[in-house]
Amino acid sequence: MSYRANPVKVYDAFDDLLRRTLSKIPCDLGRLIYLASTRDYNTGTYHHEGLSARHPGDGAREALQAAHRDVFCRLATATLEELVGQLEMYVQSSHERPDELVRTWQELEPYRIAIPMLADPTMVQLFLSNIRIALEVLRFRQKQNPLRPSGASQLPSPAR
Amino acid sequence: MIGFSVFIAAAFLLFLLLFFLGMETESADEVRSRTGDQSRHGHSETICPREVTHSIFSQEDFGFILRLGSPRLLRIYRAERKGVALHWVRRASNEIRTIMQEHARSARLSHNLKPAAEAKLFFQYIVLRLICGLLMIFIRFMSPPALHGIAAYLSNLYDQISHAQHDFEIATRIATPQDSSTP
Repeated sequence: MSYRANPVKVYDAFDDLLRRTLSKIPCDLGRLIYLASTRDYNTGTYHHEGLSARHPGDGAREALQAAHRDVFCRLATATLEELVGQLEMYVQSSHERPDELVRTWQELEPYRIAIPMLADPTMVQLFLSNIRIALEVLRFRQKQNPLRPSGASQLPSPAR
Repeated sequence: MIGFSVFIAAAFLLFLLLFFLGMETESADEVRSRTGDQSRHGHSETICPREVTHSIFSQEDFGFILRLGSPRLLRIYRAERKGVALHWVRRASNEIRTIMQEHARSARLSHNLKPAAEAKLFFQYIVLRLICGLLMIFIRFMSPPALHGIAAYLSNLYDQISHAQHDFEIATRIATPQDSSTP
């Protein structure tokens, strides 16, 4: 990975991001969506108020970008079983109704905007395909057991 | 009569291979535009990260879906994986063609071509393109996990050709530095 900013500063910001923010999010899918939400849709640049204040310059931006790619690679190469587990954790930690969230994700495919720029195209195809399968698995499980509980902590939705 | 049947069968197989190779060439650009492939300037030394290749043809995922015992899920899984596997083969075929085009350009500048090495590289290229064609056919009729071995073989062959071209290009640049640096 090549950094335009000082690699030591990027590493410090990355470590800070992991400790203070990402470790508080219960699953990788939640982290992916959170990191994607720090990216400007028009310019593709990342911004995090607190992180930028503590790490001025390009360090914070590049740390966010690196963390986004890192989490994406982990999820894209996860097994289907792991991905279904991630999706279940994400659904449980949102305040939405599980069946509605699954239906909305299947119809709008909001997870598409969580893909980092310049990601490997085959990895992107695999990720999108696996999410579609995982959503079907979740729907199948919901039909078998319609009264699955939803959790309390709230995660950002991909549309936010 | 048997000889004629074998001839017809061979001709039909060749036609299928050429048909699928032609299809993959046409759709390579579509794949690139659909996936926003801006990251690849030239080629890399692997088709894509090895974990991705492993996941596409993963038997573990297939086992997971089978354990759920839903024919609908199995159908969806197969259709999804076939799509990704076809994308992977098209990309491999398209990129290996680019590598060989680059090799042909480098070979024109080289003053010490080794015929044996060139023949071996060309043979590997033909084998790889044939495997791509066969995989395109097999993926349509079989589940990708059943093709794990062929995909791994194709991936290794791709790496070999890619490394050979990479080494050849460096050797050519070292042998003829003034050609590329002087105006």
